[in-house]
Amino acid sequence: MNVSSKERPSTQTRVLSYAGALLETMDAALADHPNAFIMGQGVDDFKGIFGSTTGLAQKYGVERVFDVPLMEEGMTGVAIGAALVGDYPITTHIRADFSFLAMNQIVNLASKYSYMFGGIMSCPMLIRLVVGRSWGQGAQHSQSPQATFAHYPGLTVVMPSTSQAILDMYPQIIARHPGPVVSIEHRLLYNLDFSVSAGTPSKPIPLTSYVAREGNDVTVVATSVMVLEALRAAQYVAEKAGIEAEVIDLNSISHPDWELVIGSIRKTGRLVIADTSWLEYGVAGEVCRQVMLRDPSMLRQAPAMLGMAAAPCPTAKSLEDIYYPSQHETVEAILTQVRGSGHGIELPVERSMTEGYKRFRGPF
Amino acid sequence: MAAGMADFQAGECSLMDSDERYRRLFRTALTIRLVEERIIELYPSDRIQSPVHLSIGQEAVAVGVCDALKPDDLVFATYRSHGFYIAKGGSLPKMFAELYGRVGGVSKGKAGSMHLSAPEVGLMGSSAVVASSIPHAVGAALSFKRRGSSRVAVAVFGDGATEEGVYHESLNFAALMKVPVLFLCEDNGLAVHSFKNARQSYNLLEHARTFGIECRRVDEGWDMLAIRQATLDALAVVRAGRPFVLEIATGRYKEHVGVGDDFHFGYRSAADIDAWKARDPLLLDEQLVAELKPEIDREIAAAAAFAENSPFPGRDELLTDII
Repeated sequence: MNVSSKERPSTQTRVLSYAGALLETMDAALADHPNAFIMGQGVDDFKGIFGSTTGLAQKYGVERVFDVPLMEEGMTGVAIGAALVGDYPITTHIRADFSFLAMNQIVNLASKYSYMFGGIMSCPMLIRLVVGRSWGQGAQHSQSPQATFAHYPGLTVVMPSTSQAILDMYPQIIARHPGPVVSIEHRLLYNLDFSVSAGTPSKPIPLTSYVAREGNDVTVVATSVMVLEALRAAQYVAEKAGIEAEVIDLNSISHPDWELVIGSIRKTGRLVIADTSWLEYGVAGEVCRQVMLRDPSMLRQAPAMLGMAAAPCPTAKSLEDIYYPSQHETVEAILTQVRGSGHGIELPVERSMTEGYKRFRGPF
Repeated sequence: MAAGMADFQAGECSLMDSDERYRRLFRTALTIRLVEERIIELYPSDRIQSPVHLSIGQEAVAVGVCDALKPDDLVFATYRSHGFYIAKGGSLPKMFAELYGRVGGVSKGKAGSMHLSAPEVGLMGSSAVVASSIPHAVGAALSFKRRGSSRVAVAVFGDGATEEGVYHESLNFAALMKVPVLFLCEDNGLAVHSFKNARQSYNLLEHARTFGIECRRVDEGWDMLAIRQATLDALAVVRAGRPFVLEIATGRYKEHVGVGDDFHFGYRSAADIDAWKARDPLLLDEQLVAELKPEIDREIAAAAAFAENSPFPGRDELLTDII
């Protein structure tokens, strides 16, 4: 998959899984920053947060990589206190849903520390959340809270959709970002292999949006795993109908590159928004707000939106499969934007995205 | 520690005699009281346009505890922290400017009374969400331990905060990790207007002991020297790498928030507080008050004048320091 931004010379590549990229960046954080430490439920066990922290406790010691009691609020408060005296804490929530137990510390404290104290204190830290999906994760193991966290000024919220995004963002977040960062990772991505640049970028990659695929016919603004879905759909419509979709990975939810997004929509006049969460009061609404603020006439028609159905996530597979947007629906949305509802183009038969990913043998 | 006393090394066998120590503690406590009484006078003028939670009656706790600390020990406090701010050595002019919402304030007016801090003297951010700063002290203490530092962190909270889940999480984690943190409970018996017997089914010390945490209660919450000594004793345990819970009984003279009395509302009686007032050195030692008051009043007047002359933050401040 081409995630190349202009900053990175397209030289040699290598294959790296999402979990592998996480492990590399966690390892590098501990190696490069003596003040960094990782804590969370199970970070030091044999599963190591789906392989993203495996072996690090052995390598760096239990004082720098350690398990914690079941205390999401307490752990996040401990992280804030450590950050205030100069440490760099990395905390994990093996399901994003569990971070809601830490909302008081994240929203009332961490997000406000810099502003509320007039800039004399700060708590730089990385909070890693993993969104679950498929195999009956149900209502409390599947939520994707990017809109929730991005709502609060003071939080930086990112959703890396590829191994490259992790390699680009995490090192500079840990080395330089002055405040708390919530990174929402996606469990479906963990085992996928991606092509990544073998070299390190010549200059920092902005913590913001980028064009994942160029095109002139329709703009697809996507987040996290929906970026991959959009890219797959874009490839399909290119092959079947000669439609070239421009896919933008929003990447930073709190600080997107709106000029990039708006420039693309102005060029194509057509918009599909593909998010991993609910559409109501979420990323889809924010993208539309940005369009409305600038120039609603740039859209030739009403945009299409893909997200979770407006219900808690059901466990039954028959319901779960229709709860999330399928590849079928993503393709349909793009085709309808460009050719109208009577487009007459054959749709892919794949309705269950997770089935598709099980068969997929990358790399992207 | 009040200005001018930075050379004092707490915990050492001081050469000062006890009279001198008492005088030092008394002066800081009187400063807190006079500052808050000035706030009461000023409040109707609307120079301070935000809630204030007064610590009148509770000064001895802040003074006794902070005097036992070293300057680089950290205190994480609450929305009722004028006392800890002053006792830890925070600047009076910057405090008044902060209360006045001026750029000369500690936090350029963005914090106000409820979020006072003075990191340069070890008073870290005060939080207005009950119990929320308790784990911050544990986290700072965890860092101190990992670095092999002799510094300690103090979590200041009221009795109501111990009902919150994060208090239990913090005790458990501190005991497990053996971090140098002092849990300091200011037990004024009230959560806003609710009495402790309506809120708690546990005894704080017994509860702490179930975590294997050493603990002590001081009933003489008016006695600055007793509190200072109890804190020094607790800190000996904490500096050896074990958390400690110190509970100090005290009395909140004023209403929960605001500058008035609240006895006329009928939920409590003035007699509840009379017992504390009868022991209050700031009320009893009139001679020492008379001796110290003029100089403190001049300091307060200068601080208020500084605040008055400091500009209001302008639009350029609205969107700064967010990230």
